[in-house]
Amino acid sequence: MSLWRRLVARLRTVGDLVGFFVRQNRLFFVPMLLVLLAAGVLLMLTGGLSYVAPFVYTLF
Amino acid sequence: MATVLGVSAHYHDAAACLVRDGAVVAAVQQERISRVKNDASFPAAAIAQCLRIADVDPGAIDRAVFYEQPFAKLERVMRSTLTTFPHGLSGFVAGMARQLGGRVFVLDHLREHLGLSRDQVMAVPHHQSHAASAYLVSGAEPAAVLVVDGVGENETTSIWHGTGGALVPRYTQPFPDSLGLFYAAITAYLGFAVNEGEYKVMGLAAFGQPRLEEEFAAFITVHDDGSVTLDRDTFLHMVHPTRAFGPRLEQRLGPARPFGRPWRLFDPADAHYADVAATAQAVLETALLRLARTAHRLCGDADTLCLAGGVALNVRAVRRVLDEGPFHEVFVAPAAGDAGGAMGAALLGAQDLGDDVQRPLADAALGAPADAARAQAVAASLGFAVARPSDLLGQAARVLDDGGLLAVCRGRSEWGPRALGHRSLLARPRPAAVQDRINAQVKRREPFRPLAPVTTRDAFDGYFGGRCDKLQRFMTVTNPATAKARRDCPAALHVDGTARAQLVEAASDPWLTGLLARTAEPVLLNTSLNAAGEPICDAVEDALLFLMRHRVAALVVDDLWIERGRR
Repeated sequence: MSLWRRLVARLRTVGDLVGFFVRQNRLFFVPMLLVLLAAGVLLMLTGGLSYVAPFVYTLF
Repeated sequence: MATVLGVSAHYHDAAACLVRDGAVVAAVQQERISRVKNDASFPAAAIAQCLRIADVDPGAIDRAVFYEQPFAKLERVMRSTLTTFPHGLSGFVAGMARQLGGRVFVLDHLREHLGLSRDQVMAVPHHQSHAASAYLVSGAEPAAVLVVDGVGENETTSIWHGTGGALVPRYTQPFPDSLGLFYAAITAYLGFAVNEGEYKVMGLAAFGQPRLEEEFAAFITVHDDGSVTLDRDTFLHMVHPTRAFGPRLEQRLGPARPFGRPWRLFDPADAHYADVAATAQAVLETALLRLARTAHRLCGDADTLCLAGGVALNVRAVRRVLDEGPFHEVFVAPAAGDAGGAMGAALLGAQDLGDDVQRPLADAALGAPADAARAQAVAASLGFAVARPSDLLGQAARVLDDGGLLAVCRGRSEWGPRALGHRSLLARPRPAAVQDRINAQVKRREPFRPLAPVTTRDAFDGYFGGRCDKLQRFMTVTNPATAKARRDCPAALHVDGTARAQLVEAASDPWLTGLLARTAEPVLLNTSLNAAGEPICDAVEDALLFLMRHRVAALVVDDLWIERGRR
């Protein structure tokens, strides 16, 4: 399966996840989730979690 | 008429199960193939094995079902973090990394792996998977179903009413109050690995006295309905990713036992730890018994209780539920833990597609068959002596009666954590020193770990008391030993005079019943065929490696007799 199709499938799953929280009346989770997903994508694009992971704790 | 694959993964005990036309045709735990104990990784090898056994092409799968709902699990992690803010942040970071690193996308992974469309892959609730894995194969109708484990999506305990093939939820206890996580914390306190050492706590409990009830009452309350309340400052599973308990537990019970320190049970320090195990076991049994009574009240027309979830593997507690509980019969499936969730998920998926899935599980031999031709070729290349005796059972009986250890790898491997005679190490169950010999030289494990007996229905009552029913087929309960058992098979009994006896019948296993008819006593010691820290052998190569590394008389692979000595 091509990378593009996999990415589309993952984005669809993220959409389903947001929909799940909306249906559960957990709207306050959605911004938290989107920030975390964005951070996750950023971490992947900047060279992998292994380099950044030790510093994730200090963010909090 | 559907072909459905059930999958459990990513927490512990990853597994796959294939159901065709409503019947379970194959079930395999990932650890058996990867050789990594309690392997939780995506079970690609187990899936491939199931498809191979059933001779099914991935394209023929109508539906794949995951045993847990990933979105609901993620919601619990996030809610838990907000509830405990700011203490839960480290746990939150670790939990989110795991969730967003793959668990949330597990259905995508499954779909891509099998080449299925989006609507062919679904997820079912964790506790419903467990409940289905017991009720739908129990043969009981109607039934009360009690699921007790660490935690599913959010439930730690649930009661279901099984009727007409449907499971109706009657009761749940939510996270973080969890009987399973309480027992896991005590497991960690005693220096054992969580999700693996719980058996050891149960075995150790028989050496202690439950004299610490007052200390335990400070951090766990068992209510009349069997629900529990855990002290949030003592147990850390809500806020910490790796620590199960905090300093408060050590203030109450003394310092935690270091991991890996050799056991000296007659040393006062270790005697104290045995008392901790005994008290934890007593608390667990009390709670389970009360939960059984609650289940009986909520499912009034049910005579049978089906137990599932990791806590259902506690055979001593199952005995108490059977003896003191309100149910006429109790059923525990061979794989009651998370691996079993794969079977429940597959059955629920097949049911959703219209198949009749309610049929008793006759046999736990659901894995890959032993490949005798392969064994012969590999053994020959290793220089082992390979023979095909005309009277294999007679030869095996003579070796066992002479005190030899006999490894067997025959037929299909077993589903679940118990070796039921297909991937087993057999021995004569006396003298008592045989137990120490196997624990020290073969298993290389703690001296207090019991070994189990196997016997036939005709002989059972002579050796063991208590009721003999479906539970003994899958070795999921203990029975008290009689005076005859204490005399004739002391190596297969625990220190408390009980045994996790297996009952074998000619209809399901003519080979083993035939062997029991030829040995001096109709009882053998039966323990799993695995080396220290390894999963039970599955393929013949695993069994040959075992033979190479251990002092056993011979290995039986179907009709082959293999010895280490050169031809």
